[in-house]
Amino acid sequence: MASGTIEDVDGAADTAATESVLRADDVAVHFGGVKAVDGVSIELTPGRIFGVLGPNGSGKSTLLAALTRLVPLTRGSLEFEGRRYDTVRPHTIAARGVARTFQTVRILPGRTVFDNVALGAESAGSAGKAERGRARQRARTAIERTGLAGKERHRPDELSYGYQRRVEIARAIASEPTLLLLDEPTAGMNRQERDDITGLLGDLRGEGLTQLLIEHDVQMMVDACDHLFAMNFGELIADGEPEAVVRHPAVQEAYLGKQGRAHA
Amino acid sequence: MIDWYFSHIVLVQSTLTTLLLALSVQVPLRAGVFSFAGVGCYGIGGYIAAIGMVHYGLSTATAILLSAVVGGVVAYALGLLIQRLTGLYLAMATVAFTLIISVLVVNGGDLTGGAAGLFGALGMLDTGHLLAVAVVVVAALTFTEIGPLGRRVEAVREDPELASAMGINVARYRRATFAVSGVLGGLAGSMTVLLRSTVTPDDINFHLVVLALTIIIVGGSRSWLGALVGTVIFVWMPEVLAFVGEWEDVVYGVLVAAAAVYLPGGVTGAAVAGYRTYRRKRREAADAPPDGPPPQPVAAGVGGDS
Repeated sequence: MASGTIEDVDGAADTAATESVLRADDVAVHFGGVKAVDGVSIELTPGRIFGVLGPNGSGKSTLLAALTRLVPLTRGSLEFEGRRYDTVRPHTIAARGVARTFQTVRILPGRTVFDNVALGAESAGSAGKAERGRARQRARTAIERTGLAGKERHRPDELSYGYQRRVEIARAIASEPTLLLLDEPTAGMNRQERDDITGLLGDLRGEGLTQLLIEHDVQMMVDACDHLFAMNFGELIADGEPEAVVRHPAVQEAYLGKQGRAHA
Repeated sequence: MIDWYFSHIVLVQSTLTTLLLALSVQVPLRAGVFSFAGVGCYGIGGYIAAIGMVHYGLSTATAILLSAVVGGVVAYALGLLIQRLTGLYLAMATVAFTLIISVLVVNGGDLTGGAAGLFGALGMLDTGHLLAVAVVVVAALTFTEIGPLGRRVEAVREDPELASAMGINVARYRRATFAVSGVLGGLAGSMTVLLRSTVTPDDINFHLVVLALTIIIVGGSRSWLGALVGTVIFVWMPEVLAFVGEWEDVVYGVLVAAAAVYLPGGVTGAAVAGYRTYRRKRREAADAPPDGPPPQPVAAGVGGDS
């Protein structure tokens, strides 16, 4: 699954010859002398939840920005459903079926919940009356699924932080994407809210949606993901089944330090 | 009423042309593009209309149409040239463009009439024509404020990176606002000149940038209604403030400063915010439990936090 010097901790489990949804090969993003991401290769297969785990500053969000073309690659290649996309402009990614959420809440402050979600629904097409009607229906479905029913006319400043994050997720799934990229979707949520979102992501997986989660909450990642990639200092340090990855010495060291690992 | 109209016809017509000028700056601003190219295109439109009529005998409609098209094309080309600039740098570049236009017309020789300008470009225009153009423009712009297009324009302004992740070609939207701004500027400039029959370099100077900006700050930057409110205030203010005499400029300055400080969304922004607060309070009042005995406990498992 992952290349280079990292260790594949669950061996043959992921070697099935399934066509990949997304493949990143030797991706590097350097900012001057800072190697934010350096030689990361990942492959996402359909209908599974993948997670990128790592401490703050490990390069997770930069990797996500690279996968969505928001930052240019220093080297490497990207493929979505078998088509190279490492030179296309970011707005074309959405049309191909990639939706994302951001690390911080980014919703239109002057617009209602419905408008914000409709923005995502319309990214899959809103030309013509029939298409607009379908987009509205997609928005309503996404609002229902994320537990926002009854809050359609509310504005973001009338919502709690947890609900604002739900709006982001609703907006992303309203475009009915093939691949959903979520950057810390449950950050700042309480346990109940976190479990609700984890449950929703599980339901979406059941419908065949491939997902990539970025998180540093280890327990949430173990609960939610089928496969984990662990990063530190811009590189992959482990890759495989969640339980195995979090027990991996390199991951324990990244989170707890050498001394912490000795006591763990 | 008719007497009132004829005694104020210049102000009525000036309101309609100034509205177009203000919209030429507000349209890009609404998409987060801090551009004054519309003011430069006002100058281009004014001179093209005057040159067309004085030197080439164009009809009024042709002169206006040509001004709008040239304004749009020039602004679009400028947008291509400076599309990487944002914020104040973009504003400065577009102000420079406006100043360059005024320098060019001063040095345009017989074609532009030099510092004295051009005379005798009287178009066959009346208030009805101006009103028709303003209504068509406002109707078209309304579609950029509501529905899917309105949401996309707002996303481009509020968060270009988010807009991009939503599949919106941000660069194309920015360039489009330049073109629309150029068309509106061209329309405003040509119609103003054809009403007055004259144009001089002083008519298209920096003061128009200040005028357009203050109209939008005071009226509101988020909707054509803000531009209309601001235009009515600033076109009619000298008439209303005639009684203060030489203090007019002081009152003008205080009003602009007060609007900038206390009405960050302009007059229309404050009205919209007030209306939303009123609606929210009404909704909260409707959601609140009615007065009466406290609710009885319900059976376990019923209710919840929904």
